Amino acid sequence: MNRSAPSRSRSQPVLTRRSVLLGALGGAGAVAIGGCSSPVAAGLTNTPLDPGTVDYWNLFGGGDGVRMQQMLAGYRKAHPETRLQAVTLAWGNPYYTKLSLSTLGDKPPSVAVSHLTRMKTFADAGLLQELNLDDLARHGMTPDKFNKRAWQAGLVGGKVYAIPLDTHPIVLFYNTKVCKQAGLLDSAGNLKPIAGQQGFLDALERAKKVTGQYGATLGINGDSGSPWRFFQTMYAQAGGSVLANNGTKIVLDDAKAKRVLDYFRTLAVERKLMPSSIDYQGAIALFANGQSGFHLNGEWEISTFQTAKMPFSMTLVPNVFGGPYAVQADSHTLVLPKHPAQDRRLLDNSLGFVKSMLDQSLTWAQGGHIPAWQPFATSEAYRKLTPQSNYAAAANSAVYDPPGWYSGSGSTFGIIMSSSIGAVLAGQLTPAAAIAQMRSKLSVLAETPSPV
Amino acid sequence: MTATTTVGRPRADRGPVRPRRGTDSSQALHAAGFLSPFVILYVLFIIGPALYMVLMSFFHTSLVKPGLGSFAGLTNYAEAFGSADFWSSLWHTIWFTVLTTPPLILLSLLFALLADRVVRGRWFFRLAFFAPYILPSAVMALIWVWLYTPALGLLTSAVTSLGLTAPDWLGNPNWAMISLALATLWWTLGFNFVLYSAGLQDIPRELYEAASIDGAGPWQQIRRITIPMLARTTTLVAVLQVIASLKVFDQMYIMTSGGPNYSTRPVLEYIYDVGFTDFRTGYAAAASTLFFLVVLAVSAVWLVLTRNQEKEGVA
Amino acid sequence: MTTIAATLEREAHASALEHSADRHVRIFNRVCAGVLVAFAIIWLVPLAWALDTALKPNAETTTTTWWIHNPTLASFRALFQQGDILNWYAASFITSTITAACTVLVASMAAFALSRLRFRRRQLVFWFVLAGIMIPPQVLMVPQFREFNGLHLLNTYWAVILPQIPTAIAVFIFKQFFDGLPRDLDEAARVDGAGFLRVYWQVIMPLARPVVSAVAIFSFVWTWNNLLWPLLTLTNPQLMTIPVGLATVQGAYGIRYADTMAGAILGALPLVLLFLVFQRRIVEGIAGTGLKG
Repeated sequence: MNRSAPSRSRSQPVLTRRSVLLGALGGAGAVAIGGCSSPVAAGLTNTPLDPGTVDYWNLFGGGDGVRMQQMLAGYRKAHPETRLQAVTLAWGNPYYTKLSLSTLGDKPPSVAVSHLTRMKTFADAGLLQELNLDDLARHGMTPDKFNKRAWQAGLVGGKVYAIPLDTHPIVLFYNTKVCKQAGLLDSAGNLKPIAGQQGFLDALERAKKVTGQYGATLGINGDSGSPWRFFQTMYAQAGGSVLANNGTKIVLDDAKAKRVLDYFRTLAVERKLMPSSIDYQGAIALFANGQSGFHLNGEWEISTFQTAKMPFSMTLVPNVFGGPYAVQADSHTLVLPKHPAQDRRLLDNSLGFVKSMLDQSLTWAQGGHIPAWQPFATSEAYRKLTPQSNYAAAANSAVYDPPGWYSGSGSTFGIIMSSSIGAVLAGQLTPAAAIAQMRSKLSVLAETPSPV
Repeated sequence: MTATTTVGRPRADRGPVRPRRGTDSSQALHAAGFLSPFVILYVLFIIGPALYMVLMSFFHTSLVKPGLGSFAGLTNYAEAFGSADFWSSLWHTIWFTVLTTPPLILLSLLFALLADRVVRGRWFFRLAFFAPYILPSAVMALIWVWLYTPALGLLTSAVTSLGLTAPDWLGNPNWAMISLALATLWWTLGFNFVLYSAGLQDIPRELYEAASIDGAGPWQQIRRITIPMLARTTTLVAVLQVIASLKVFDQMYIMTSGGPNYSTRPVLEYIYDVGFTDFRTGYAAAASTLFFLVVLAVSAVWLVLTRNQEKEGVA
Repeated sequence: MTTIAATLEREAHASALEHSADRHVRIFNRVCAGVLVAFAIIWLVPLAWALDTALKPNAETTTTTWWIHNPTLASFRALFQQGDILNWYAASFITSTITAACTVLVASMAAFALSRLRFRRRQLVFWFVLAGIMIPPQVLMVPQFREFNGLHLLNTYWAVILPQIPTAIAVFIFKQFFDGLPRDLDEAARVDGAGFLRVYWQVIMPLARPVVSAVAIFSFVWTWNNLLWPLLTLTNPQLMTIPVGLATVQGAYGIRYADTMAGAILGALPLVLLFLVFQRRIVEGIAGTGLKG
């Protein structure tokens, strides 16, 4: 860079233009700095950010995002005295990483959304505040007012760290037009009960005859959630579980897993009742276009099909394997990360915010989620909300992903299981080979000392 | 950051300071004063962490627990060597390097050669090619995600208007890395363009004049004079490019999050994931150390290359 | 476009070429100029498209056309009204400015000692400093994070600033420049009774202005553009720098392309201004040293 000699003098106009532009830059910087003194002070001197403000992080986009905004507006209206700072962050692992790093970095949000299955690792890592039952009761939140299963599943070592907002299970979407033609509906226009392996298979056969393409669709290719959700539902109905002792022990029941995977193979590969090579969006598109009578997915996709203006309804995934009814699910919960500036006022503001979200369960339930807040879940208003309340029973039979540091929604565990199960559905692996693959991959993680 | 000094600087050896009367010990004291701010920060924030990283790699250190954790011996390294995810992420980094380096070198050379034949309007080319380079990676990524958006993106509609079916640029595992490489080409080409332009200006004009008197056409001039004279610049460009590509993270993190299905996750994102998402700091330190060795090996190759070139230059 | 092409037609060494090949060369150069202009336009399209989108209302972005029916600054206004963009600007300005100033000071002092002072093991110290060039900062993210966690400096600007100050390459560049300055200058000052501090500050540094500005600009730009390290350390949205904010915080109403592009443009704007002011300095800096972020 010394090709420009140090002694070279600059011509005057350049200096002027430069100083003008630099001045503009500096001025803009000064305005920006002056306009937000609290974060700047926090950034330079590590003081707390806006004491007393409810700082809320969530990960909701799409229809959930819109409904969450309505609920936030509802809170602001009801609590004009409390400042609310709400941020929506990118979904998935980046969100959870940010949440843990900000807690380690002493500036966490005062309230955050977390999946129930992810929350446990956070609690074990000491990143969450334990919630005192008296504090909760002061805000009208007592354990009996929540869905029992969601509440119980959220306890870590018998202690409360999270307030469940909902239960979101995998459900059975059905095309009412197709199913009617296939003679699968009752006189009221609802799906007739389906039970047992043969019963589900027959229903898919009949739907396939109508559509000429497929009976049902499920995301398979590159989908780290759907195959596992479907498998877990069936496998739990057969009475099996995968992990024990907080993920340190693999208790995969080969015989039961093989029964389920054999059945999957029959559906997708032998009878071709389901497309065996399709991704998440493709599975949705086939169902939305009427090329399939059924679709297996989380209830949150309700908005997609409502937007598509197609004739559909939703119900519980049938009991195919005959044991006590079970269905894979997770819950959105609200947690309070460990906060260095925590005081009574912030705690009360935060819990007041949580309560306000529960009070607006109707808005939330429209997005398909089964409300955990019993005062609403048992109300007439919810019963009238269809098809959302058709599958409300799923909340009481929800099977959550097994605890473990590598488990939970969107985790390594789900990816391993989904890729093996997906390979069976795609006809690439035999059930026995898939089970061997699961076992070998899981055992590496089970043997790794837990980082929390 | 990476740097080297080869262009436009005399190579004369500047020997040690001429002896001057005065006390050496006072100079040493002053030197300590002048050096200490840098050296203290350097030891605290670069050298210290580097040693700490190597130490941690032998322990089951957790992000959320204080201290080093239990002794792991070589198990972290053994796990990394046996981990398909580690190797595939390393491969993605290398594949990205392979996809970006040749076009970045060839196209920037081409553009610089073309620009060298043009007298007027150089500011325009400099602006067009170099402006993307100063954009933050996040800005570049947002713009390209928008260009690649299925159905609505400009690139998608451009391809469709040609009567072809546009690929799902970032959503298809076979296309995602190519799309990332394309965006990176647009982003960083200007840097190499500037280096090559400077290299071209250092070639004496008399060489061309002599050649043209001998009847050499433009193409022959480029092949016989320009390309060989640019050899040193090409080495520099190639090495800087390889090292920068090895450190790729931003594009993937923002544009694909390493997906679809981990098909574009580079090794730095793997380290980020295991270290900060899974809390496995000790294992992440082992993976970092291994990656560091790869970067060192590449730098060593560069040292050997430039040494050889300099020797040839002397001979 | 055609006017630019026309001005470009004059080729580089017209005066030297008055042979029969002249016409061929001229045609060749004309083709070169044409090809180059085409590429330059292609290179500008993404930027133009981003600006075009940002000036549309969000609703208009669902059709892929350059035409804007209702040009508006609504997206820019929305960004300033809701969200943390002013906080992000503040964080970026503060971290980049402090880093640049400290890097220049600390590196030039070290380089002065290495270039101008005699002491034992000088060569060893030089190699020790130079070794830093071999360590890519990204590799150190894991131990550095733990270090700043232990220092309780996460989520402060210092977490971004401190590790970026000791930049080995800056020392190297300063030393090369200082080595090229004639020794008689500081000898004379010394004879006049000036101390080393005065020689550094009043003799050497004023001569080093081109290097100072090059190092300062690059340090500023690197800090402004850095993503990975601030992503780890500045995790509260109110404290984020511009790139981190743009990369992580999303609109709650789903993706709004006009808003996103407006954010991208605002994030790049200060750097574009900086580039326009220091264009020549930046380009020369790269050409002279091969600095690469």
